[in-house]
Amino acid sequence: MSRKPALLLIPGLVFILFGFAIPSAIMLLAPPSTDTADVFARFGAMLTDPYDLAIIWRTVRIGVIVTVACVVLGFPIAYLLARSTSRFAGMWLALAIFPLLLSNVVRTFGWLVILGSQGAFGQLLVVLGITDQPPQLLYTELAIVLGLIQLFLPLAVISCYSAVAQVDAGLDHAARGLGATKSQTLWKIVIPLSRPGILIAGTLVFAGATTAYTTPYLLGGSSQRMLSTQLFSYASVSVDWAAASATALMMTLLVFMVSGLSSLISRKAGVTS
Amino acid sequence: MKGRPILGTLAVLGYIIMIVPILFVVSTAFTAGDALTFPPQGVSLRWFGEALAYQPFVGALLSSLQLAVVSTALALLLGVPVTLAIQRGKIPGKSLVEGLFLSPLVVPELVVGLALYQQIMIGLHQTSFVALLVGHTVLLLPYAVRVTGASLALADPAVEEAARGLGATPLRTFFSVTLPLLRPGIFSAGLLSFVTSFNNVPLSLLLQSRQFRTLPVTMLDYVQQSYDPMIAAMSTLILAGTVVIAIVAEKTLGFAKIFGGINK
Repeated sequence: MSRKPALLLIPGLVFILFGFAIPSAIMLLAPPSTDTADVFARFGAMLTDPYDLAIIWRTVRIGVIVTVACVVLGFPIAYLLARSTSRFAGMWLALAIFPLLLSNVVRTFGWLVILGSQGAFGQLLVVLGITDQPPQLLYTELAIVLGLIQLFLPLAVISCYSAVAQVDAGLDHAARGLGATKSQTLWKIVIPLSRPGILIAGTLVFAGATTAYTTPYLLGGSSQRMLSTQLFSYASVSVDWAAASATALMMTLLVFMVSGLSSLISRKAGVTS
Repeated sequence: MKGRPILGTLAVLGYIIMIVPILFVVSTAFTAGDALTFPPQGVSLRWFGEALAYQPFVGALLSSLQLAVVSTALALLLGVPVTLAIQRGKIPGKSLVEGLFLSPLVVPELVVGLALYQQIMIGLHQTSFVALLVGHTVLLLPYAVRVTGASLALADPAVEEAARGLGATPLRTFFSVTLPLLRPGIFSAGLLSFVTSFNNVPLSLLLQSRQFRTLPVTMLDYVQQSYDPMIAAMSTLILAGTVVIAIVAEKTLGFAKIFGGINK
């Protein structure tokens, strides 16, 4: 078997090259009935057009907010569960991971029920006498941010959990025994040692949040376009291949830049520590 | 959580954001009223009946199941040999090859979908099922390669060498030694692949046709036109199916093991 690895590799290799790598490259750089020059011209135009810039900026802004929120909420869950001695810890971990298996569409519908004009949150504000009219919460950036946090928090929990679980709990006890406070132990021992996992969590969440489609489509509508919803509209409504490719290129570069940056940081950290 | 007020509060907030929206969907599915409002008006199962009698949902459910099963099988058929070659063979540029098979995780799905739409559906005049099968399989290959790879990496190659040394043929070694070692990995990869394909939106949306449309796409379409509790009922049925899959996963291998392979 080990003498003929090529035979095992070839079918998969052919499939991924012709079903993925080559078509994606063609679409990004030389889409049908347009020139590569057109794509780059549109790409350049996007960087000066106020409408396109607003979409790029919104995508990056939402990506950053969602990433920070997922790490800030996900790390405590991971940390408390990894260090818990409760027999229910496994059940809580399963509850945090379970949403990953559930359809994005189903998970996002929940926000329609909560934030919609007849929704629970607006009604609650009226009942409490905080406002007279239910506020417009759907089709706002806040709705997209909440939806994306819900979507990607389980991913952040898993990455942080496997990172914290690898940090020997004995180190926590040692630090505490030497007089460190709980928060000193957390900030000086646990967080620095689990930084690679936190970095992976952040990268996965950012890549997912900036390219997600269902959430900005359902919760942002046409007034709060992100790169993904804009790309879909170029592809299916206006059938503008050059613009679609330029938008796709922007989205891909954004994801590659951030994952490149994060592997650079983790490599640098690996050298110094 | 005792003595950790800030961490505890953040964790509770996190759970609320992850779980509460799902509970709202479930509670509105059991309404007796006509509108998707909260609190629901009365309790009934009528919207479940309507969802199961609504032909576009039923047809789309069958399409989604068919696509998920076939693309999972194809991804495993192509991906497991690749794992074997990467883990056990001596191939040049091993990390490059592995990177190539994992790259569908990094490239945005809309990019892959649009590429296949332009080149397979328009360029090669193939049906949307063919394009979807290619797209979904590509999307699942990283699971087939990485998750089965994680289980194989844990196994000692010496076991296989011992079998060969004791006179087993390569084929016999594969079926009686390697395959059993791979089985948990294949099971995890298959489960994740099935769920990923079934839930996919970006590819299924771009590559749909009037003849072939998956359930999530049909539901997105439906909610744009009519906003009634039938969508909550269908969502609750999907939730119930997912809970069954989750319980099977937890009872057989355990969640942590199944998801552990993704993040290595």
